[in-house]
Amino acid sequence: MIGWNRSVTMLLSVVIALALSGCNVARLTINTPLTPESVAFIAEGRTTLADVVDTLGAPDSITDTETGTIVTYRFLNAKYSRVNFGWLLKPWSPVDPDLVFSRSGLGTDAFELLCDNNWIVTHHAFVRHRPAPPFTPYPF
Amino acid sequence: MRRVSVLLVLMLLTLNACAFSRGTLGDEIKTETVNSIKKGVTTRSEVLALLGAPDRLLQLNGRDLFQYYRYDAKVGSLLLIVLNFSRVSVKSDDLFVVINREGTVEEVIASKRTDGLEFRFWPFGE
Repeated sequence: MIGWNRSVTMLLSVVIALALSGCNVARLTINTPLTPESVAFIAEGRTTLADVVDTLGAPDSITDTETGTIVTYRFLNAKYSRVNFGWLLKPWSPVDPDLVFSRSGLGTDAFELLCDNNWIVTHHAFVRHRPAPPFTPYPF
Repeated sequence: MRRVSVLLVLMLLTLNACAFSRGTLGDEIKTETVNSIKKGVTTRSEVLALLGAPDRLLQLNGRDLFQYYRYDAKVGSLLLIVLNFSRVSVKSDDLFVVINREGTVEEVIASKRTDGLEFRFWPFGE
């Protein structure tokens, strides 16, 4: 009985190790993600663009509108995970079989400021505020 | 000490390979060059002589906006026997120069984020 348990444990370990062999976890971040806390210092009608740049750095784009200048900060937090269950058959198969489960999620976000002609912030808001995506290879 | 040794041996046994990659887009924006641009003094032609033609040229309420940028990407990959970890970190240096109707610099907005960019492998956490 002990020998059988050991064999099952060994077999399970090999199966898990082979399954994990085709496992990838990757992440892409562009710029530092901003949070409501990191922009809490901005007071509409008082804070200037220079104050914002001192704290957050230069924006990614500046565009002109009829009501003022729009300043945009963009950032990205993407996660990707992948498991190739085809690796389980690799020792017994003459070809490289693939059964891939993978999933990626983009946490794209942008923070926008509207400034008047004197570079004073009149409005500010997050354009999209998606929750950070999880590392989950299950696509269904 | 013993735990650290065990961890090191385990890492050496499972470490299959690791990779470092880097990519950049655009020319470096030197801090000295940015500091030499003075509001109300430096002219449009002097900005062009210092930095070259801008990457983007926009109109901002009758004023010209020159945008210069540079991107730096660092990729770290840790390829273990059982699984692979990768992390791509991208940061940008941006410079905006606002030039008024008289042709002199009105505002300079700049930041250099790429100085603190590091190679990272661990994809979890911040």
